Amino acid sequence: MNNIPFPSRRPTAGTVPALLAALAVLPWTPTVRAADPESLLLSNAIVHVVTGAPLPGGMVWIRDGKIQAVGTHVEASGATLVDLGGRHLYPGLISLDSALGLEEIESVRATLDTTEVGEFHPEVESWIAVNPDSELIPVTRANGITHAEPAPQGGTIAGLSGVVAFDGWTMEQMTIKKPAALHVYWPSMSLDVTPRERMRPPTPGGGRSSDEQARERVARVKAFDDFFQEARAYAKGRAAGKAGVNPPWEAMLPVVRGQIPIMVHADDTRQIKSAIKWAQTNDCKIIIVGGQDAWEVAPLLAERQVPVIYEGVFTVPGQEQRGYDVNFKAPEVLRAAGVKVAFSVGASGMGASFARNLPYEAAQAVAFGLPESDALKGITLYPAQILGLGDRLGSIEAGKEASLFVADGNIFDIRSNVKKMWIAGREVDLASRHTRLFHKYKNRPLPQ
Amino acid sequence: MALALLSGVGRAAPPDLVPPGYRPIPPGIHALVGARVVVKPDETLTNATIIVRDGLIERVGKSVTPPADARVWDLTGMTVYAGFIDPHLTAAAAPRTPTAGGRGGGAPVNDLTAGTVKFFGVSSQDREAEGPGYEVARVTPERQMARSYVPDSKANEKLREIGFTAANVTPERGIVRGVSALVALSDEEPNATVIRPEVFQHVAFEIGGGRGGGYPGSLMGMVAVVRQSFLDAEHYKLDQDDYRKHDGQRPRPAYNPGLEALEPALAKKMRVIFEPRTALMVDRATRVAHELNLEFGILATGQEWRRPELAKAAGAPFIVPLNFPSAPRLPQDDDWQQVTLDELRVWDWAAENPAVLRHQGLEIALTTTGLADKSVFRKNLRLALDRGLSEKDALAALTTVPARLCGVERQMGTIEAGKQANLTIVDGKGYFDPESKVRAVWIDGRYYRIAASETKEDTKDGTGRGGGRGGRGGNRGGATESANSTNVTSTAMATNSVPAGTNKLETLAGKQPEGTNDQHTGAPEGRGGKSKEAQKRIAQSPLTGRGVLTNPPALLIRNATIWTESAAGRLTNADLYVRDGKIQKIGRNLYPMGGAPDNTLVMDGTGLQITPGIIDCHSHSMILGGVNEGTLPSSAMVRVGDVVNSDTANIYAQLASGVTAVNLLHGSANPIGGQNCVIKLRDGESPEGLKFKDAPQGIKFALGENVKQSNFGDRTASRFPQTRMGVQTFFNERFVAAQQYLQAWTEYRKSGDVPPRRDLEMEALGEILEGKRLIHCHSYRQDEIVMLIRLMEQFGVKIASFQHVLEGYKVADEIARHGAGGSTFSDWWAYKWEVYDAIPYNGSLMRSRGVVVSFNSDSDDLARRLYQEAAKAVKYGGTPEEEALKFVTLNPAKQLHIDQRVGSLEPGKDADFAVWSGSPLDSFTVCRQTWIEGREYFDIALALARAAALARERSELLVKVKKAGGPGGPGGGDAANNSFFEVSLEHQYDGTIRHCLDNE
Repeated sequence: MNNIPFPSRRPTAGTVPALLAALAVLPWTPTVRAADPESLLLSNAIVHVVTGAPLPGGMVWIRDGKIQAVGTHVEASGATLVDLGGRHLYPGLISLDSALGLEEIESVRATLDTTEVGEFHPEVESWIAVNPDSELIPVTRANGITHAEPAPQGGTIAGLSGVVAFDGWTMEQMTIKKPAALHVYWPSMSLDVTPRERMRPPTPGGGRSSDEQARERVARVKAFDDFFQEARAYAKGRAAGKAGVNPPWEAMLPVVRGQIPIMVHADDTRQIKSAIKWAQTNDCKIIIVGGQDAWEVAPLLAERQVPVIYEGVFTVPGQEQRGYDVNFKAPEVLRAAGVKVAFSVGASGMGASFARNLPYEAAQAVAFGLPESDALKGITLYPAQILGLGDRLGSIEAGKEASLFVADGNIFDIRSNVKKMWIAGREVDLASRHTRLFHKYKNRPLPQ
Repeated sequence: MALALLSGVGRAAPPDLVPPGYRPIPPGIHALVGARVVVKPDETLTNATIIVRDGLIERVGKSVTPPADARVWDLTGMTVYAGFIDPHLTAAAAPRTPTAGGRGGGAPVNDLTAGTVKFFGVSSQDREAEGPGYEVARVTPERQMARSYVPDSKANEKLREIGFTAANVTPERGIVRGVSALVALSDEEPNATVIRPEVFQHVAFEIGGGRGGGYPGSLMGMVAVVRQSFLDAEHYKLDQDDYRKHDGQRPRPAYNPGLEALEPALAKKMRVIFEPRTALMVDRATRVAHELNLEFGILATGQEWRRPELAKAAGAPFIVPLNFPSAPRLPQDDDWQQVTLDELRVWDWAAENPAVLRHQGLEIALTTTGLADKSVFRKNLRLALDRGLSEKDALAALTTVPARLCGVERQMGTIEAGKQANLTIVDGKGYFDPESKVRAVWIDGRYYRIAASETKEDTKDGTGRGGGRGGRGGNRGGATESANSTNVTSTAMATNSVPAGTNKLETLAGKQPEGTNDQHTGAPEGRGGKSKEAQKRIAQSPLTGRGVLTNPPALLIRNATIWTESAAGRLTNADLYVRDGKIQKIGRNLYPMGGAPDNTLVMDGTGLQITPGIIDCHSHSMILGGVNEGTLPSSAMVRVGDVVNSDTANIYAQLASGVTAVNLLHGSANPIGGQNCVIKLRDGESPEGLKFKDAPQGIKFALGENVKQSNFGDRTASRFPQTRMGVQTFFNERFVAAQQYLQAWTEYRKSGDVPPRRDLEMEALGEILEGKRLIHCHSYRQDEIVMLIRLMEQFGVKIASFQHVLEGYKVADEIARHGAGGSTFSDWWAYKWEVYDAIPYNGSLMRSRGVVVSFNSDSDDLARRLYQEAAKAVKYGGTPEEEALKFVTLNPAKQLHIDQRVGSLEPGKDADFAVWSGSPLDSFTVCRQTWIEGREYFDIALALARAAALARERSELLVKVKKAGGPGGPGGGDAANNSFFEVSLEHQYDGTIRHCLDNE
């Protein structure tokens, strides 16, 4: 048994200046998939198993990409012993509803592959367009995020999402599940009450009466429902071997067969209630994404067993009487009512470049009442379960995939840093565009 | 037209004879008998007689005998008031099609003519008027309503129906709009109706940009334009006088009718009416008026209830519209969740606003302006009376006050001998009972019947049209003939219905016994129609629950961990003693054995941590209106200090995370932005009260993609600069110009000649050259950072801070040597091409090379967690914790040059601090209290109750508004919704996050 002190022997950019030039040019280097039957016994760690209390002085044996055993005393003959020096060991974090890989620079259109046009295009598949060499991926990975769910945007039925691991040479190698969910942007229920003369720029169709808008929102939900009923009919036809192949309906098959859930993007309680009612009528499994005001209908969500991917922790409250901390407290209100709450920074806006801050969104909820263990589940186990990967990711348990990372402190504490990471048992590089630029300019000689 | 001219002669002239076939002008002698005569607001005569002769009131009194030649009108049961005057009648603005020019950003640069750009970059603006004029399109002080006024008989009739006899017609568009004219609301040729052609100059902080994106586009730009145009007018006069003095033997100054037209206002010979549009801007209007030494009045915003003290401080007369919002109607009950507390408050407070103004001791005049349907005026007036306005004040506001404001108090406003015979005649209980009808008005001694007040009985007999008028000078249209004939019938019929007793009995529009006139439709709802409950205000003042929570004479916090951010370091088990708003002592066991000085509030700080108040070096959170005046490449003349929003919910939200001071910056849409304003979050204070008085003045500069309009689409590609090369060129040339500007003033001071034109843009840039104004420069890429350093060094100027400065780490040595600070984001990146090399190690790296570093928010959200941002300096690059906290406390104070007052906890400094549940760098920590100058402004223990009180108020208001609105209610319809959802500028951005590039 070899005893490796921490940090590992793996050379880093900082310790080997000769590598600097090359690293500044090359994007991150994926590990080689073929090699690596490595058997490691990670020891002397605070093991955050997620499904139970953290194990101080815990040990985790990983081999063949899987967690073999977890405990305070684990026998692992032939394994390399890695002493983690009392540091924290977490399962990899999962970035739900993400634009990672689909977006490089928010204001440069050529770098955007997030949003398609048209209202109903379920056959659009997000994982297809993930850029394995995106600079954002290693930056995000360096803060403990091992997996993401790239999500399509645009229209009412935006398309199918998949799940990618942040390791692999190609999009195919990275993709671990496809499809994972159907993304539906529930029709807006909000009335535009802006007086027409105040609309700048004047919007086409703006200034319509509230009644007209009310009719239209009903029509939009109805149109979605019709689409879904047609998909069902198509599925029946297919089962009977009668229908010809039609890609949009084909893409709906796993949804109407209940094999994957629908992620319903909805913030307003009117939307949420409408979506829940629809799901109940159609016996569909939905997950609310966004969920800004979901706390207001927490009992309903709990009763219907609808999980919420909460993206609104850092949203500025719109109405003062709800309290300055309404969005900080919302996850706890939901949890206390019995709702499963996961966290995401979202796919829109600066979601991709902010994705690394996922644990701090959950941490803010902890500061305002959410138990830390639930916050941790909200960025690990619950996302895994929501994506149908509950048996594979999201906790440190024997039999699960060895996607783990070591941090020198609590992952919710901003001051902590991730020191080591394995994805499916393979150690990955934590260097990124950021660390390379850091080292380059840190070593800039003083100008004359 | 000849006849029209004749009609203009005075009463000594011989009577007009109209051509045969036209109706002759009626005799001009009348006796109005038997009425209750309200001579003036505090004097009423019962059963009095008014003698009218040739348009004037000859006598008024109880024992006046009608002259033999008078036509006698029996007004028994009627009340006669001096004719009402609307001091601010705005004609509906006609839609206008833009003519030319006005592309975003002013003149196209590919113009081959030299010198076409006069006012900087805006010569091609789409002007309101043709011909010479002021360089900013929406400054048209030369516009005279008396020159373009055409009586609109339909509109006039609507006003007469509610008792008005004269109105001051005001220009409806622009910033400096032009001159209003007082006109009689008679259906005359224009010449005969104009009472006073030049009444007020009108200035409006017109919300929303001009057509075509011309300057100014922001609220703060409007204020700058007002200032500059009046200053220009001052200079214009000096220059023209000098030209005349030299008998034309010197270069000719440019002719400018706009500036000429401002002369009477500058000489205080003409009152300027400011239209601030939003409650907080009442204060700005007042200050600008004082600054420019103007006699002024204010068109009330309708929301002075937000801050009555600001209205009081104006001390000027207010012209008060009665356009109250209606209750909305929404499709479903769930939709009410969209309705904000502030919208409900605006609705509930509206009717009380006139009384609020009056209670401040302000003179008020009422106006119908803003009412699309003028008939609502009386209903709303009744609501205002029910909410505390006295009838006497209301009457004065309709008569004597507007008469005096309009400069016609000798001719109008009371029923006294010698005044114009302008009268308003109301039946029943009088004008303030909406059920009672205005039966007629008299204008210049002529009577106008009110068709709308006539009963079925009257109209059946064809007495529908008011007809006493008409014969005089050029009958227009066929109305006169019918009026002529009906008048006769009316008189005859009416005679039968009145009891005998007077020698010649006539009535106006058929006097009705009370209680029989319930047939009419569309009448405003009477006071009886509403429950008392509806008249009671539920809405609270928005200042309720805001402001100082605790204000102890002295404060001692014991046994806390204190991050002093000074040489004293982080102290554990330490005490903090505060008195007179200042930190007095910090140390262990300051007053042992309970021996704190008298009147000291003692708090146990065990387990708590105390830090200096957080300072945000880059914010747009408390700016009213747009944050960018991006229409010009330099907007150095605009001042954020003119538009501080003291009423936004952001103040409380940021206090709740320990923020105590904020640098409010102009946006980054142009290279030279506006002047900044440093404030303290003394919640509840007025805009001026928030200002950090000792903070040096500064200005926002910007470089890179935003200023060269890289991400605005292909349409915005014609303004200079479009490259980083051009940005440097632009800065250089503006500063050369500023040098020359300063030189011109130096020469003037020696020569004493005509002073140079004051140019507020150049003045601000000159202050930079003189070291009196700090530069805070938005920047990203290393090359542009070095460019500005070198350029400003050439001008002998040190840059105070680079903002964002995301590639600062690449040139940290250059920044440190220059002596600028670096105020950056902790970890923002990849949102633009120029931030692809942004790294979260930036702060730590710059610091390690000797730059004073801060982390800022530039976001209403991030401002609420700057303490957490500080922790990122620890995470990325290993900055020690106390140094990291300085990134959001002492270092921004240094960058703003306010570190002698704030930023660290040291004896003698302001007692601005936050109390935390744990280390401020720990994500699980919450802010428990925030103190500014020894006063507590946030306490987490009270936050819940505060929100609950607001929630209670909102739900009570919802009950009330749903009763008032809803299907079948008095509200309803889109017009009602539009009036209700007119969002106040103070709360326009609540719940949204604004950044550098936001315009409106």
